[in-house]
Amino acid sequence: MAILSLKNVHKSFGNTQIIRGVSLDIEQGEKHAIIGPNGAGKSTLYHLISGLYRVTSGTIELRQQPIHNRAPYEISRLGLARSFQVTNIFPRLNVFENVRCALLWSHGFRYSFWHLLGRQGELNDSAMHVLDQIGLKDKARYPAGELAYAQQRALELGIAIASGAEVIMLDEPVAGMSHSEAENAVQLIRRITEGKTLVMVEHDMNIVFDVADRITVLVYGEVIASDVPAAIRGNPKVQEAYLGEVATSA
Amino acid sequence: MTLLKKMSVWVAYLAVLLLLPQLFDSILAISVFNQMAIAIVFALSYNMLLGQGGMLSFGHAVYFGMGGFLAVHALLMLETETVHFSIIWIPLIGGLFGLLAAIFIGSFSTRKAGTVFAMISLGIGELIAASSLIFVDFFGGEAGISGDRTYGPTFFGIDFAQNVEVYYLAAGWVFISTVFMYLFTQTPAGRMANAVRDNPVRAEFIGYSARHVRFISFCASGLFAGIAGGLFALNYEFITEENLNAATSGRVLLMAYIGGLGYFIGPIIGAVLLTLMNSLLSNYTELWMLYLGILFLLTVMFLPRGFAGFIMMHQLAWVRGKLRDLVVPYLMTGIPALTFMLSLIALIELVHAEAESLHIYGLTLDPSLEGTWIVLVVIAAAALYGTRRSLPQLRAAWHSANHIPDEER
Repeated sequence: MAILSLKNVHKSFGNTQIIRGVSLDIEQGEKHAIIGPNGAGKSTLYHLISGLYRVTSGTIELRQQPIHNRAPYEISRLGLARSFQVTNIFPRLNVFENVRCALLWSHGFRYSFWHLLGRQGELNDSAMHVLDQIGLKDKARYPAGELAYAQQRALELGIAIASGAEVIMLDEPVAGMSHSEAENAVQLIRRITEGKTLVMVEHDMNIVFDVADRITVLVYGEVIASDVPAAIRGNPKVQEAYLGEVATSA
Repeated sequence: MTLLKKMSVWVAYLAVLLLLPQLFDSILAISVFNQMAIAIVFALSYNMLLGQGGMLSFGHAVYFGMGGFLAVHALLMLETETVHFSIIWIPLIGGLFGLLAAIFIGSFSTRKAGTVFAMISLGIGELIAASSLIFVDFFGGEAGISGDRTYGPTFFGIDFAQNVEVYYLAAGWVFISTVFMYLFTQTPAGRMANAVRDNPVRAEFIGYSARHVRFISFCASGLFAGIAGGLFALNYEFITEENLNAATSGRVLLMAYIGGLGYFIGPIIGAVLLTLMNSLLSNYTELWMLYLGILFLLTVMFLPRGFAGFIMMHQLAWVRGKLRDLVVPYLMTGIPALTFMLSLIALIELVHAEAESLHIYGLTLDPSLEGTWIVLVVIAAAALYGTRRSLPQLRAAWHSANHIPDEER
């Protein structure tokens, strides 16, 4: 049973069609990578799924429940979390507060102004546990905006996974990292998405073929292939559109 | 231990509030303290918007004024014996009306932060100020409305005829309001207000509607602004359109900004400082508004985190026991800088004095003598030179006091 299902999704800005009829099923527990050349519409697709953009036509369902054209906070509450390509944290809050804020809704605090955060033992323990997972426990009291880049990316990931969402969508999680940093990040991603559904946009093909169970190739707003890694590697259309380009430029 | 430490801060705060009239008991002092009490609650409520919620409001006096007007109407109803309760509850009535106004206006103004919010707040402020001249029954036109706080049942024999009695009542409300505004910052809604201020888009992706978060802060802020308005009504026993117009909104912005937006105590410092300037400096010079403007300008340029931020800058040096190393460099720069400012003020006052002789700093200066001007300009120039010469030493001292050597890391 597909946990996330896109049917014939279109998105245009004015006369420019960015997403041109994407249909895609992502199974529960799957590690799914979306790849494609620059400008293929990967980020737009993410924004459509997570509610930042409205679809022009088509449907998106999370657990058979339509989520297209709903507000990001509603989609988030249904158990879909995402990270951003550009680091998107709460810079003036400290690292601990960043993660704790991300936990608040799933712990049922809603918009409460009658609970004192300092007294919520379970909430604070969960926040520390997430910090432990992402390796930022000793930076808990640091203002998030003053962390090093790789640490901010780790925090970005921490905010995304904190709520315990069933579906986690990562947008180029290792972009801009050095080789060793990227290796650590991949291990971290594996660890924290264990047993969950992972959707990932990534340019680094080694990581994609290493992590993904299935790969979808998006070119000019259309899916040209969606299959297991071995089949994608052998697909001539993909080679022509995407992998060939990488091979010649590398 | 930390709990004890936190509690001791609150006990000290309460003690200062209660002891002030014992230390200074002149009529002027009590009247200044009353103004401070009102300003503290008002400025703290403003900071819930700007400092904590990232909402720049140019119309916060609306909620202050609305609370104040309803409070005076409540006083009038006590006078005609339509209602019967002690006037100690008047600030709460003001607060509830401020809350009501904030619920109504916030329902559409909090949709966006930034420029949109600022422009709406400005528009609403002008709208209410204009309608105060139209709905004369409620606002009393240009003259405003006045009441008498001595009606209604006495509170343990106190009838609040004396200003000092009103001060203690106000101090009680200031303390309660401060505690609750602080506690608000420690709740999920208060913390999410910070998150939405920092990054409204991301807040939506962790399950929170930025608009709802802003709305809650906005309502809480309206409640406390209304309480401040109620305190104003009790203290002055009258209120006019001036108390809800853009000038009052501007003043509370200055208080919060000069005090320091990023710190809970910032607005308290700002409120105290500006009340002192407003009520004391205005006795000495007609130009105090000019000096207030200059102070604001200097704060924005050199102390962007306000006075509270300036004090907090010394935390590291304090922890490391290096504060003493800063005293001499501070004096070396501070004395010429102060001399420069004082001579500049003398020059400004001299221009303003025109033909009359000017009494300043215990001296009598004659503006018609060229020598007066020359001497002042020379002093100012020398002081400026001295300031600039000593600045590198201050920088070096600051650096060494705050630099952690690698072996200590």
